[in-house]
Amino acid sequence: MIEFRHVSFAYETGYPVLQDVSFTIQEHESVGLIGANGAGKSTVMKLILGLLFPSEGEVYVHGIRVSKATLADVRKMCGFVLQNSDSQMFMPTVKEDLLFGPLNYGMSRKEAEEKADAVLEQLQITALKERYNHRISGGEKRMAAIASVLTMEPSVILMDEPTSALDPYNRRQIIQVIRSLSVTKVLTSHDLDMILDTCQRVILIGNGTVQADGPASAILRDQKLLEANRLELPLSLQKPVL
Amino acid sequence: MNKAEYTLREFYEMDELADRRSPVHRFSALSKLAVTVVYLFVVVSFDRYDLTGVLAMALYPYLLFAMSGLTFGMCIHKMRYILPLLIFAGIFNPFLDRNVWFVIGSVSVSKGWLSLAVLIVKAVCTVSAVFLLIGTTKIDAICGALRRIHVPSMLVTLILLTYRYMSVLTEEVAVMTDAYHLRAPRQKGIDVSAWGSFLGQLILRSMDRARELYASMLLRGYTGEFPAEKQKGDSRSLIHALVWCSVFLLLRFVPVIRIIGTLVTGGKV
Amino acid sequence: MHMADALLSPPVAATMAAASAVTAGYCVNTVRKENTAEKIPVMAVSAALVFAGQMINYTIPGTGSSGHICGGMLLSALLGPQAGFLSMITVLTIQCLFFADGGLMALGANIWNMAFYGCFVGYYFFWRPIVRGKIFGSLSVPLRITLAAVLGSVISLQLGALSVVLETTLSGITELPFGAFAGLMLPIHLAIGLVEGLVTAAILVFVYHARPELLMDVQDAGKGGAFSLKQTIAILAAVTVLIGGGLSLYASSNPDGLEWALFGNAEEGYAENMGLNEDNYGSTSAVADGAAGIQEATSFLPDYAFKGNDSALGTTVSGIVGSGIVALCAFGIARLVRTKEKEA
Repeated sequence: MIEFRHVSFAYETGYPVLQDVSFTIQEHESVGLIGANGAGKSTVMKLILGLLFPSEGEVYVHGIRVSKATLADVRKMCGFVLQNSDSQMFMPTVKEDLLFGPLNYGMSRKEAEEKADAVLEQLQITALKERYNHRISGGEKRMAAIASVLTMEPSVILMDEPTSALDPYNRRQIIQVIRSLSVTKVLTSHDLDMILDTCQRVILIGNGTVQADGPASAILRDQKLLEANRLELPLSLQKPVL
Repeated sequence: MNKAEYTLREFYEMDELADRRSPVHRFSALSKLAVTVVYLFVVVSFDRYDLTGVLAMALYPYLLFAMSGLTFGMCIHKMRYILPLLIFAGIFNPFLDRNVWFVIGSVSVSKGWLSLAVLIVKAVCTVSAVFLLIGTTKIDAICGALRRIHVPSMLVTLILLTYRYMSVLTEEVAVMTDAYHLRAPRQKGIDVSAWGSFLGQLILRSMDRARELYASMLLRGYTGEFPAEKQKGDSRSLIHALVWCSVFLLLRFVPVIRIIGTLVTGGKV
Repeated sequence: MHMADALLSPPVAATMAAASAVTAGYCVNTVRKENTAEKIPVMAVSAALVFAGQMINYTIPGTGSSGHICGGMLLSALLGPQAGFLSMITVLTIQCLFFADGGLMALGANIWNMAFYGCFVGYYFFWRPIVRGKIFGSLSVPLRITLAAVLGSVISLQLGALSVVLETTLSGITELPFGAFAGLMLPIHLAIGLVEGLVTAAILVFVYHARPELLMDVQDAGKGGAFSLKQTIAILAAVTVLIGGGLSLYASSNPDGLEWALFGNAEEGYAENMGLNEDNYGSTSAVADGAAGIQEATSFLPDYAFKGNDSALGTTVSGIVGSGIVALCAFGIARLVRTKEKEA
């Protein structure tokens, strides 16, 4: 469960990025966080993860308030898949990367390896295990990045643009993986078709506030609302032009 | 192909070699590291005129190339980096060292030629030995071995992370270089007007990347130390190390080639 | 300047490795006291950056040739001397292992020659005092950055090259007399150092304009700017050539005593005469007399003619290179400054 209570945030005083944002995400929900470039989606993500702290208001994850003191607990519960997999995968090989998180949280090497094997199996990428991170393709890298987060058994997964720069096949694969995960999911994306495929609920952020919060099927059909926020209808919901 | 791309290819080549399988690949990284370091010290400790002695040391790379499935040809182009300084230091020896080595007819060859030859053999042997180490051992195994000999974890962590990101950044430089030359086809290098901004832009982006990377590390429980894998020593690796080190010492202190030569030619040992 | 294993004798290699290891240990401890967790990714990415940056060829105006950077000065300006030194070690280690660029046994020597001077001498003697305005305080900050980068690079490369010469001669690898070897190496590295310094300066000035907080000591930089551009260029050129050129000339002035001490080797005549002046050369032993006779008869080049020519050659080369460099230096800075004005 993730809760924002009247959260405001500004990098510099006088230039707020978020203003009085409140919402609650229930367990096992999957939520799409949408909005134009610079609307504040990434800031919301960073606030959940304790990479930033609110200027005003509070953020709670599973009832724990995100603060310097609770960082380790919060981060153990939350997995974050970065948009840039190269920044995410910092060990030489995929295997070492998968082990990094579990080992840091005190799992024995044997347990961690078993966990890694299970995750690789789950995502059907066992072949990547011994590969070098700098020698695998963009799609493989994205899969491996998701795996590196899953080995930590998070109860919340946040993904920043999980389908960006992927070919249609790899995009499909990632969507299937996202759908197969039963944990709480928060996704940001401009790929609204993907959001429609994977999320029941959408929170639309614009001008630093929540512009709309409701069922994905309703919000993503609301052409006026989307266009007011510099977004467009998902392709699958657009009427054929010809 | 620009310089950055070429470097990347060479870098990937080493990765691929280390991924192969052979008896040498299976030895522990620590044993291979130890053998290599002892070998280097023994090779360069030979006297500057001891050509036969140092030639005998070529036995190690020769056998290891055979055992590992790598070839000397793969590493010969790696000599290019060290060659300039080597030539600089050695090329004058034949002219300055006027002691007579041997005389053919009326031409006498100075001992400087001998010391130059020894220098070249030493260079070939040492470069081959390091190539054989890294061509048969993955980087994480080498870093594990470094941890075992108590190299500070900070340095080992740095090597691991740098290894990972040098290909990412070199790739960026490769793309940037291509992009630059597509718009400046007549220039050989980066023009002075872009000296600062070319790498400068990359620095700014890289610092952002470092922050992102740090965030990603934090989110997976990083506290300043990398968890290091404890490598188990196996008896095969131990034997490998012991045998080779004894061979090196034997070759160092007993002039094996000369003894064999004398025996064959029937002279007195 | 990467040295191969073959250029070093075990004692020299071990000494240099020990010196570098002790410095590295000190740096690890210093950096650990700061916020290590946050600094390590920055250090690693900077090291990777320097590695990648070395692949860039910079056109040297007016020459048609190109140069590249080595990075010690750049790293210490971005990270500080200790963290910069550790990043530089990482770069050199990876170069040595994966590219055979410098030997594994020679790693200690290479670290010393290329990282130590650039990071510590470059930082403490040039970067910090100049950027903070302790000296040349009346110049503007970008000019101070330029001055610090150029002087730091030139001097650290001179010291590095001198160390290469010392290490090689002490190892007894080359027959080249110390003076002649230094006379060849130093002028070459004076030119290399200047190019490195100017490129590094251009990069750092760019970073200063974009994100000054990334640079060390800039926060403490006082305001300046009284000097005119011409005066600055003149000072810069004069100081550089004075120090760099002075070092080269000093080294190539062929210090006989030093040379003899260094070159005394196991050969009979030499060993017995070690420390004596050249007039007594070979005259104390019959064996040496005989040897000298054979030598004279068989040598490719007579002793004194070559030596004499050589040191004269070294000095001449220094002179030519030196004056070329003044022009290059002035031209480079002029171009740099002009670019900056266009941006403003």
